[in-house]
Amino acid sequence: MKAIFKREIRAYFNSPIGYVCVAALLALYGFYYFQVMALGSTSYISAVYSTMFTFCMMVIPIITMRSMADDQKNKTDQALLTAPVGVTAIVLGKFLACFFVYFVASTLGLLPAAAMNFFASPAWGEIIGNYLGTLLYGGAMISIGVFVSSLTVSQIIAAIGTFAMSVFLMYIDMLASSMSNPVLSTLVEWISFNTRYTTFTQGMFSVSSAVFFLSVVAVFVFLTARRIESRRWS
Amino acid sequence: MVEVKGLTKRYGQNLALDNVSFTIEEGAVVGFLGPNGAGKSTTMNIITGYLSATAGQVTVSGKSILDEPGEVKKLIGYLPEQPPLYQDMTVKEYLNFMYELKKTRLPREKHIQEICQLVRIEDVYGRLIGNLSKGYKQRVGIAQALIGNPPVLILDEPTVGLDPKQIIEIRTLIKNLGQNHTVILSSHILSEIQAVCHRVIVVNNGRLVADGATDTLAHDFSPEHRMLLRAEGPEQELVAAIQSLEHVVDAYSTGEKEPGAFEISIEAEPDADVRRPLFRLLAEKGWPMLALKNTDLTLEDLFLRLTSGAAQDYAAQEGPEEALDNTEEQAPQRKEEDE
Repeated sequence: MKAIFKREIRAYFNSPIGYVCVAALLALYGFYYFQVMALGSTSYISAVYSTMFTFCMMVIPIITMRSMADDQKNKTDQALLTAPVGVTAIVLGKFLACFFVYFVASTLGLLPAAAMNFFASPAWGEIIGNYLGTLLYGGAMISIGVFVSSLTVSQIIAAIGTFAMSVFLMYIDMLASSMSNPVLSTLVEWISFNTRYTTFTQGMFSVSSAVFFLSVVAVFVFLTARRIESRRWS
Repeated sequence: MVEVKGLTKRYGQNLALDNVSFTIEEGAVVGFLGPNGAGKSTTMNIITGYLSATAGQVTVSGKSILDEPGEVKKLIGYLPEQPPLYQDMTVKEYLNFMYELKKTRLPREKHIQEICQLVRIEDVYGRLIGNLSKGYKQRVGIAQALIGNPPVLILDEPTVGLDPKQIIEIRTLIKNLGQNHTVILSSHILSEIQAVCHRVIVVNNGRLVADGATDTLAHDFSPEHRMLLRAEGPEQELVAAIQSLEHVVDAYSTGEKEPGAFEISIEAEPDADVRRPLFRLLAEKGWPMLALKNTDLTLEDLFLRLTSGAAQDYAAQEGPEEALDNTEEQAPQRKEEDE
């Protein structure tokens, strides 16, 4: 797992893709933090993160698209699968590498807040809550992206597929509000990333939401491993 | 060392492997021969655990690939048909990655350096794999298989796409590796199998059609055993004298090939060796023997014969088990000859 993780990280930062994703997210963080500063109130910091929610969900498909698809296309999965490493370890290595890229972007995204710290007193509780929320929904979305990537050999299809999933998860709560059936709408709200994430933007650490996102990670890592395993039998 | 029993693989409706069984002893160099799509790669992928069989089992050194995949995978070094190389890594990075991936415990620097020397890739050690020529990529693929010093090496068409010089180098390398590894090598190039392997397993349409020592297989499959003799002497008397030899079934002249020398085609009884009596006869008569050559099927003919349907009859008649027994008797002999 460690070997795969290291290799993937190197692959991200040997090619432009890692830098581009990190840079794009950082530029957006900087811009929205700038707006907050222009407004002169740290109470708008939550607005930064709820806007970044949309952008993160859009950038994640780019990070995850190559993770599994590329190996299948170049047949390098033969080296991984015939090595004495379990399938789950392979998937975890890949997942953690994608997550690391996202983690770097999110953590560096705190820089504007740190800069603000010199001149004002930003609400750190709120910022850290938002930051953790960002990492949690990001992790969940990345696990979904890795899974979609394992379904295809084409990076483009993986990216579009993951993008469709993320748009669906972003706007699913709109669907909920238009539903008349209360059971359905509760269910839909329950799986909505946006609703789950909103508790964090209020500066609260919601254990149930954290457990929800971590469960999504576990389920999709498991599904990806099963998917890789199932290819052996087809 | 490697035991394959009743291996069957289905891709949907398509039967890729049909009840293939064979055993490979430790230290053997075995060639896996068959036309494209015969099931060579599928078999190799199943042995290495990349694919699962629909039925049948594979054991390496007594361990089943299904029950102890981790242990079995440690014993096998695999070079797939397309070397599993990451184009965006340097040779150094890649080999170090494979070293870690295989959880090797040998001293890292020394082990990797030794392998690089063995497959001669020291001079491209720092270069990006994506920029290497096909020959070097293939060698990096072999280097990757050697990492961890696994006792079994499985090489799927290791010389495909190389130039003749590289082919010879890789073959020599495989021969050397065969001295302390069990090697299974697939190819559709017959001369390659002939040059490198002690034993050949022929598959066609997913079925094992022949299995035997490389040298004797062609002989066994020949329906008749002919020799071509070129000798100096009177044509009619030559033919008549040879025909009267014991165990000779038929002899006829094919004409004058050199001034005063004739070529005579001789057919002997299947189990008889008439070369010595023939020599004595010619010596007695004072007819110089200029050439004597065996015209048993070449491996090339054999291959065509085996893969074109004629072999199915053979397999049905004698059964693959018979062929297998045959190998075990012949293989040690062949080794002695080598020494």
